[in-house]
Amino acid sequence: MAILRVNGQGREFAAEMFPLTVSDLLGKLRVDAATVVAEVDGQIIERDKFALTKLHDGQSIELVRFVPGG
Amino acid sequence: MGIAGLGGLGSNVAGALARAGIGKLIIADFDDVEQDNLNRQQYFIDQVGRDKVDCIKENLARINPRVYVEGHRVKLDAENIPQVFAQADVIAECFDSARLKQMLVETVLSRMSAPIVSASGLAGYGNSNAIRTRRISPRLVLVGDGESGIDTVKLLTAARVGVAAMHQANAIIELIVDEIKV
Repeated sequence: MAILRVNGQGREFAAEMFPLTVSDLLGKLRVDAATVVAEVDGQIIERDKFALTKLHDGQSIELVRFVPGG
Repeated sequence: MGIAGLGGLGSNVAGALARAGIGKLIIADFDDVEQDNLNRQQYFIDQVGRDKVDCIKENLARINPRVYVEGHRVKLDAENIPQVFAQADVIAECFDSARLKQMLVETVLSRMSAPIVSASGLAGYGNSNAIRTRRISPRLVLVGDGESGIDTVKLLTAARVGVAAMHQANAIIELIVDEIKV
């Protein structure tokens, strides 16, 4: 079992779900990656690296989802 | 100060910052003023059909001629953003499209050093207090209710877009006065 903090909230993930990438996490949350800015432990992760960026127990992930309008 | 996009957010942010006496504004958009922009954007009926950058320059000059406005009629992308806004101490994300918002915020956070004030979730009417300003991380301030998109709510009003735009302008002034101290 691993715990990731997603937008400030601790969430539990079963050990067998790892390796878990940013893309995998967005898939589980059903969020369109094209509208998300992601920071892992305060570090910006560019969208083209989402599928390559593996998440680890204890990390803090900030997902900012953009909706249209302006 | 940089403003990316001169629609309902950007045209209002520009006016507030010019009135506040911000000395230099770098503004960028590639659109012309359209009739249906006038329900929420700071243009006038006689400006329909004209370049938004030129119109904002004119309007700001009438508000405060001491503000220097550098205009870029350009479609912003990950390649040109760092050049266009190289001199900006803060950048305002004022796009309409969710994908462009994502692209701009990601580009500024990964390739530049200035903070960015972005907006997401401002469609509809009413519920002014759901629109909040939050510091997501040291260089990212996010305004909006986070969920009311034009894709689902189907309506943009001058009032609610204006609430978000003034949150952005207020956050920018706060950053400049308290942190950047230009």
